[in-house]
Amino acid sequence: METFRKNLTAAPSRRVLIADDDPVMRHLITTIVKQQQHDPVLANDGREAYRILQSDSQFAAAILDMTMPFLEGLDLIRYMRSENRLMRIPIMLITAEQDINLMASSFSAGATAFLPKPFTPEQLQSAIRMLLGNRNATRRAA
Amino acid sequence: MLFEQAIIDEAVETKFLPFAPTLSIACDAIDLKVLNAFEGLQADDGSDLVVELIDLYLQDASERIESIKLSVARADRKSLTLSAHTLKGSSSSLGARHVAEISATLEQLDPVECPHRVDALLELLSYEFAKVKGLFAVERQKRLA
Repeated sequence: METFRKNLTAAPSRRVLIADDDPVMRHLITTIVKQQQHDPVLANDGREAYRILQSDSQFAAAILDMTMPFLEGLDLIRYMRSENRLMRIPIMLITAEQDINLMASSFSAGATAFLPKPFTPEQLQSAIRMLLGNRNATRRAA
Repeated sequence: MLFEQAIIDEAVETKFLPFAPTLSIACDAIDLKVLNAFEGLQADDGSDLVVELIDLYLQDASERIESIKLSVARADRKSLTLSAHTLKGSSSSLGARHVAEISATLEQLDPVECPHRVDALLELLSYEFAKVKGLFAVERQKRLA
């Protein structure tokens, strides 16, 4: 109970989980996340992200690539939405697929935002801003 | 189809792709507007984000192309699809559109079902990537000068 109270009053996490096997994309997202005064936590593939999430739930948001080695973005979303400690973390899925069905599957699995590649830096910036802002709005409402 | 069959046939037949692109062809290989758009995201620490992205891309794309070649040699479609998919994403993000287009085609192909087309596309991929390397090197130099 004490821990629960502490968690409720603790400062909101400023850490953002970024999982992408593409180092260009990881670097780009990291740059924007830092610009928005958040701390990136990096995973090079889906399994690495899963292992981080198994022991760590203190994230303001998660930005996941759809297609990664070992575990895909959708697998991670389903995992996160089935765990009480992870289910409130807003998730953005990034994908190089131009498939409207994939977008529908992502939202039904529990994604908060969906960003198809290619995108402009401004689009990525505003998507991340909205993702982090959305989380803040949820906190305020709660 | 992204490339004329005649070009692919010729590449298969001659096993040779000329590496002396004219400036107009070379410039077509990348869309510098895409790359330049990242200038707005420059970090405050004095580092050049565009140079960093170029370096990361060239390193990673070289490794992905080697991985694609290995996947084809092993007839490993799953691995080919994954490497081609990632190369497609990073190439389109930095405006290397021909590399992105060839990767998109390779992503869909089975090296066992259509080995000649896959081989030809691999040659085109190496050729296009060589052009991108040259153009990005020039861009990199300009920024560091």
